[in-house]
Amino acid sequence: MASHRIESDLGHIPYAVPHIIHPPSTFINQEGSAFDFGELEEAIVLQTVNDTKQPLYTEKPAATLEMFPSWPMRFHHTPRGSSKSGEESTDSGSAVHALSSRGEGSRLELESPVGRKASSSSDHHQMIDQMHHLQIPQQLEVASASNSPRTGISQPQLARPTSEKRRGAGSNSERMLDAKTLRRLAQNREAAKKSRLRKKAYVQQLESSRIRLSQLEQDLQRARSQGFFMGGGGGAGGNISSGAAIFDMEYARWLEDDHKHMTEIRTALQAHLSDGDLRVILDGYITHYDEIFRLKGVAAKSDVFHLITGMWTTPAERCFLWMGGFRPSELVKMLTAQLDPLTEQQVMGIYNLQRSTEQAEGALSQGLEQLQQSLTDTIASGSVNDSMHHMAVALGKLTNLEGFVRQADNLRQQTLHQLHRVLTVRQAARCFLVIGEYYGRLRALSSLWASRPRETFIGDDILCQATTDLQMVQQSSQNHFSNF
Amino acid sequence: MHYQAESYGNYYASTVRQSAAVDPLERVVRLASGSAVVIFSLSTCCMCHAVKRLFCGMGVNPTVYELDLVPRGKEIERALMRVLGGGSSVPVVFVGGKLVGAMDRVMASHINGTLVPLLKEAGALWL
Repeated sequence: MASHRIESDLGHIPYAVPHIIHPPSTFINQEGSAFDFGELEEAIVLQTVNDTKQPLYTEKPAATLEMFPSWPMRFHHTPRGSSKSGEESTDSGSAVHALSSRGEGSRLELESPVGRKASSSSDHHQMIDQMHHLQIPQQLEVASASNSPRTGISQPQLARPTSEKRRGAGSNSERMLDAKTLRRLAQNREAAKKSRLRKKAYVQQLESSRIRLSQLEQDLQRARSQGFFMGGGGGAGGNISSGAAIFDMEYARWLEDDHKHMTEIRTALQAHLSDGDLRVILDGYITHYDEIFRLKGVAAKSDVFHLITGMWTTPAERCFLWMGGFRPSELVKMLTAQLDPLTEQQVMGIYNLQRSTEQAEGALSQGLEQLQQSLTDTIASGSVNDSMHHMAVALGKLTNLEGFVRQADNLRQQTLHQLHRVLTVRQAARCFLVIGEYYGRLRALSSLWASRPRETFIGDDILCQATTDLQMVQQSSQNHFSNF
Repeated sequence: MHYQAESYGNYYASTVRQSAAVDPLERVVRLASGSAVVIFSLSTCCMCHAVKRLFCGMGVNPTVYELDLVPRGKEIERALMRVLGGGSSVPVVFVGGKLVGAMDRVMASHINGTLVPLLKEAGALWL
């Protein structure tokens, strides 16, 4: 009924066959969530082209988009430009009315198109602007979904400079328009398809690497809790000595305790406990460290190679291994950047600590070098006759390795104690938190590295994506770091 | 470093003659008070090499007694082992005539900052 009214009042306006771009359902499925500008542009251009060729009102609209049959759906193009727009501006007026009613409901029924003078361009512009805001999402969806030639009347109501350009062009360029434009549209389609595929592949890769990471972590946890106990000596895979296996088990337990201590310190710092309470907690943490050095001492007696080759640590830690553990001077160096502003006395204390650890490390390293040289000489020399003798001598020399690992651990222990002495209770608490978190991150780095995506079937851009993927996984496990 | 390994200088010879019946520990004490920094070592011991490098690295000039090369060094070695109560006898360090200890004590005292003042006090370190 309303449409009748429109017709009668604006007599010269032909009945607007609801002209909707008919979207085949297959296209909608293909698009999925990706919005495809290539196809949109194509849709617009094709519609423009078709509109200049085909007569109006040729086909019926798709039933699916005819949501409000009483209100014919119309599209109208931008007000500026060719004469066609002038011709159809009145159509647009009713179209505005019709379409805005969809968004605004019954309210618009009161709005009479009579009041609007299609000839008044300012109103027309206003209406078009309103339409833009209302319609564009719908229009875009519809336009992009379509790949078929346009049917029915008018052009899409989108102020696209490209379509204007084409409208403004004369009939001469229409043929060129077809060839060039079609080629470009085809290329756009290709590019869009490619990017869709790439995105899908990337997402799949991300998912699979995430799953793998979680699986690896589960395995790691399980292995830790079982203590790597492969039945030292016995069984097929018994290439780990019992002393080493026992130490690995104890170290795993120590790491869990470490985590608990760190949480305790963190909450104590955040709760702003008194210095006395904090000191108690901190002393507990120092004792915890003393414990691991004691355990390492025991392990050094039974299997010094296990310690000195770093098989008890993660690969990333092993990279920085010095004489069976961390390098104290490196730790102090790392801390100087992290510690709060220090008093001058503290600065001197830390500086002296840095220097003395460096000197001690140098001395121990030189001592170990001499041992290695002597061992080399023993193993290299010796004839076939007294080879057993030389082996015995070499064995004797090897026992000195234990001494060096012991001294290195002693150095580490002393360094931690000295830090505790130089700093205030609060500073020391923060310092030990930093140390714990640092090694936690190093351990996490090892597991992330082990689970990094390694597929190469996708192109170079995916390899770049892989590094960002790794960064994203790291960022997403920031909580994981703080747990350490 | 002064190696008092095979020196048959007057002082050392007289020391040896005098200490024929003397307790090795007394010998140790006497030898230790003879210089600012005294290290009892074994020529084959790598840890002793490490402690020597530590002091030289600091600019100290220690007096070293290689107990495998010193006459009756075995006694001193056994005595030191008893004193330290540890598995190994050497290296042992004396500074200013006072016992610092074996390698772990030396390292600990260096890290906790007590070694350098001791050296300065004994006149072994000038800077």
